[in-house]
Amino acid sequence: MAPKWIEVLTGSLEQKKQWRAYKARVAGFPSPYRESVDAIERYLLYAGGSDTESMMTMLDDLADLFERAAADGTPVHDIVGDDAVEFVETFKSNYGIGAWIAKEQNRLRDAIGQAEKEQS
Amino acid sequence: MGKQATEMLKGVLEGIVLAVLAQRAAYGYEITSWLRDEGFADIAEGTVYALLVRIEQRGLVDVEKVPSEKGPPRKVYSLNEQGCEYLNEFWRTWSFLSERLEQLREGKN
Repeated sequence: MAPKWIEVLTGSLEQKKQWRAYKARVAGFPSPYRESVDAIERYLLYAGGSDTESMMTMLDDLADLFERAAADGTPVHDIVGDDAVEFVETFKSNYGIGAWIAKEQNRLRDAIGQAEKEQS
Repeated sequence: MGKQATEMLKGVLEGIVLAVLAQRAAYGYEITSWLRDEGFADIAEGTVYALLVRIEQRGLVDVEKVPSEKGPPRKVYSLNEQGCEYLNEFWRTWSFLSERLEQLREGKN
């Protein structure tokens, strides 16, 4: 699972511990909450764009949501709504973004700023 | 609720949630239930949760963990001073928008 992201984790023992604790916690969720979290986790890891710390906070918050829903017996559809991708993208937008994408965003702003300057 | 209503609601959901919290402290599930009762049936609990995460990060609410009968402790959100100021700003923006739109509808602009 998510080999690329795991590579980033090597080197930070604290984050590795946090990751293991998160995985163990989710493994204890009943169906279909466990499967739902796994699917969202997979999407988040592959979609990328977050730094490791934000990713871990995001996954922990996600686990909080589904743990609570499992205890309340809230149907999965009531949590994610009609479109799971839309839900995850909204959720994800609250957290920090990766250094590389921040760099690209700054580059875009600078380039457009330069283009505007040339025109004025 | 139609697609258009859902799209419009997204833009004001933050203000709605802050206004609900201005009346009393609540946890995520209560807020979603309230919205459903008021006819906002399409609002997913996850969407409200994502919003609560955001307003917590921005320091607009205070959070207290309250033990629950089953499952993990519930996070109870209450509006703090910064949140009240933000809510006032939301209402000002809302008044501005609704007045302009009403003028547009009546063809007076």
